Amino acid sequence: MGSKNKVRKEILMGNQALGRGLVENGVAVMTAYPGTPSSEILPSVVQYGAEMQSQPYCEWSVNEKVAVEVALSAAYTGQRSAVAMKMVGLNVALDPVMSSAYIGVIGGMILISADDPGPHSSQTEQDSRLLAHFAKLPVLDPDSPAMARDLVGPAFALSERFQIPVMIRPTLRVCHGRQNLNLRTPKELERVPGFPRDPFRWAAIPKMRLALHHALNAKLAKIQDYLSKSKSLNQWHAPLRPRAPLGILASGVSAALARDLLAEMGLPVGEGKVPFLQTAAPYPLPIGPVSELIAGCRNVLVLEETEPVLELLAPNRDKLWGRGSGHVPSAGELTPEVLGGVLERALGEAKLKAARPKGKVLSVPDQPPMRRPNLCPGCSHRAVFYSLRRALPTGVYPSDIGCYTLGMNQGAVDTCHDMGAAVTFASALSRGLNQADKDTPVVATIGDSTFFHSGITGLVNAVYNGHRFVLVILDNETTSMTGMQPTPESGLTADGHPGNAVDIKKLVEGCGVRWITELDPYQMGDLQKTLKKAWRWCKGPEGSVAVIIARHACAAQRPRDAVASPCKVEVKGQAAPVKTSFRPQDNPCADCGRCVAVCPAGALTRTGKGKIKVDEAKCTGCRLCAEVCPTGTMVLEPAGACVACGLCSTWFACPALAKDAEGYISIDRGWCVDCGLCAEVCAHGAIAPLEESK
Amino acid sequence: MSRLEWQAVVAGVGGQGVLFVSRALSTAVEPKAGSILISEVHGMAQRGGAVVSHLKAGPFSGPLVSPGQADLLLALDPGEAVRNLSYLVEGGWLVVNAPDLDFLSPKARKALASFGARVLTVPAVQLAGQAGARKGANVVLLGAAAAGGALPVSMAELEAAICDGQPRARAEANRKLLALGAEAAAQV
Ligand code: SF4
Ligand code: SF4
Repeated sequence: MGSKNKVRKEILMGNQALGRGLVENGVAVMTAYPGTPSSEILPSVVQYGAEMQSQPYCEWSVNEKVAVEVALSAAYTGQRSAVAMKMVGLNVALDPVMSSAYIGVIGGMILISADDPGPHSSQTEQDSRLLAHFAKLPVLDPDSPAMARDLVGPAFALSERFQIPVMIRPTLRVCHGRQNLNLRTPKELERVPGFPRDPFRWAAIPKMRLALHHALNAKLAKIQDYLSKSKSLNQWHAPLRPRAPLGILASGVSAALARDLLAEMGLPVGEGKVPFLQTAAPYPLPIGPVSELIAGCRNVLVLEETEPVLELLAPNRDKLWGRGSGHVPSAGELTPEVLGGVLERALGEAKLKAARPKGKVLSVPDQPPMRRPNLCPGCSHRAVFYSLRRALPTGVYPSDIGCYTLGMNQGAVDTCHDMGAAVTFASALSRGLNQADKDTPVVATIGDSTFFHSGITGLVNAVYNGHRFVLVILDNETTSMTGMQPTPESGLTADGHPGNAVDIKKLVEGCGVRWITELDPYQMGDLQKTLKKAWRWCKGPEGSVAVIIARHACAAQRPRDAVASPCKVEVKGQAAPVKTSFRPQDNPCADCGRCVAVCPAGALTRTGKGKIKVDEAKCTGCRLCAEVCPTGTMVLEPAGACVACGLCSTWFACPALAKDAEGYISIDRGWCVDCGLCAEVCAHGAIAPLEESK
Repeated sequence: MSRLEWQAVVAGVGGQGVLFVSRALSTAVEPKAGSILISEVHGMAQRGGAVVSHLKAGPFSGPLVSPGQADLLLALDPGEAVRNLSYLVEGGWLVVNAPDLDFLSPKARKALASFGARVLTVPAVQLAGQAGARKGANVVLLGAAAAGGALPVSMAELEAAICDGQPRARAEANRKLLALGAEAAAQV
């Protein structure tokens, strides 16, 4: 037997399974913008597409709106297309998505929107299935990687039969779950793309949209009928039985977990005590089997994540136990911990006894504190955030979505709202704060990928309307938070081929920005001077938006031996903490208040004009006050050894800097990448390059 | 032959190789279990936060382990061991990267003992460090778990899962780390 006929078995991640499903079903065009938990879908199409004779076209689009439009128009030409994003990306794409059901497609189109109940790495817990309902798009809800792959075929079939895009909505546990499955041979469709010119459909004016809306409603009724009849999309894990006190209607991962939990409670679904219907099609709701279940049971527990979609669409809602009745919590992931409680309560109220009690659970006292995620050692963003607080300590710092949100640990991120909001928030914040004639520097930070995604429009707006703030573009030459996808600037396409690189500096110039500097943030001294200069220009008579492009390759991407300034550092001894002293007798205090604002320990208070009180117990001797003091009233002698001031560990926050109980620092060699940045941070000369100290 | 039913939780901190361990375990047990489900935590957790992976081998449908159901808790970090102890089934295995159980408060140690847990403590980082491969602590711990009898597969099966199809040098290095773990388990 040839190896061709051998079944290839692999353990695949849910996102890979989706990519595999797309390739097995002849996808020809695939677009995406990276976002956890969806990011691995497109690379899998690239990878598995290589097995096909005519490889699918894949692109990382600059944002989700663009991605949807490219995939949509590809489906107009009769090809099968797909687009993937995370659920907050769906918000960005909502404009084209909303009319996509009205206009429809010719070739099958799948929109994958990955939800993040929990939320583990997202700004919201929203449920894409509700948006599918809102946009009138059919949506399928897989419970596992295998089911995600297996739904791709039916989704394309549904899409082509009714000429409508179909959404697949996996959740984090599907996307980042792994399961073993048998790979099928990719299907080659050999369709020749063509565009049937029909402006009355593709360019429908508002009047025609009304007719289209009527047609769409009729189409959805037919789809509902079609879904109701599908045996594979509606699985009876346990059949209806007469006068059942409790039934379960479930969808997605909750359905899979509930099956395991019932078995653990001694009521395995196979034994059929509790009728259990799982539907993979929450909208349009397969009304046939769902009504049957509800009519046949005294009460029905509805399990789904995250919003009550089945629950709102199902008939006889007064019989349902779910979010409406308070049986299911209205926020958060339905983990086994949560779902176990929900099931126990429902079984109890229905007077159903479990055959054997669930196993004992060990309760552990003295839990360790939560771990905070932190920027990688050697990350150049850390140098930017540190410099920001040093150069413009009284500033306000709007930031954005990406790794750099972790700059919060360094006290240099004040807002984080949605992609691109750093720029737009900086606009109004600077206007508002400086209207009152206050001198509050506003410095926005945004990553390169986010800048391309949604920063540009905000920048055009800021230039046009004459807002005054400093924008630092943290250009680490990749989309790091989601796993190193290339950005337009890299000029690399999704399959690794060279494309056309887009220059950020020229783009910024093109937006009309008149003050631009490029630099390497590892040069922290330069960076601090530049930040000050930029803000001075902003508030000057000719000032507007100043842009600093801080460029340094991502620390997680570059090989360890390619660190820019390799310099092994060490910590020299320990000294008794030195204390700050306020000495107006030597120099008069200018009463500028900078020292009070900058002190990380909160050790300084203003007690009167030109009078500052130093709380000896709180002062760690970090020297920041002495550094910002313009008159030399605040003094502190350099120590030449670690004084446990916390500057490096708290403000610089490198995970390689280990603190002992007293706050003295040592360097954890397991983490340190020898970037040498901490040596620049330590104002006491305690951290020094090894060579020098020898 | 009845299929294997086995659940495990692997816990640690970003950068320690939690995902590698759970994938190696799943490759090793897959032939005996037939069906494998894993759930990983990605994203922010990769930046030095807690990382945990749930592994269910056998006729399961959900990807997450329920509290009180894990046959094995394999912890690459003592703190993360404490955080995930409640997943252990009565009489289950705790294999942890630590020289002893001192990281547990006396109260927690008593609770664990009365739960009938079987415990294997391995100073995996030190051992891997002595072998010149600090990052290989996860493989040392796996070796100890296999040799100590905490896994439903033999050392040979585990070794095949980790080393087969790898470049020679990497396979050799991993074999050495597995053996180091096995030695440590024998001494406990
Ligand atoms: S900056 Fe860090 S190493 Fe330097 S004195 Fe302060 S705590 Fe010690
Ligand atoms: S400890 Fe210092 S040299 Fe090492 S990675 Fe952190 S900042 Fe860089």
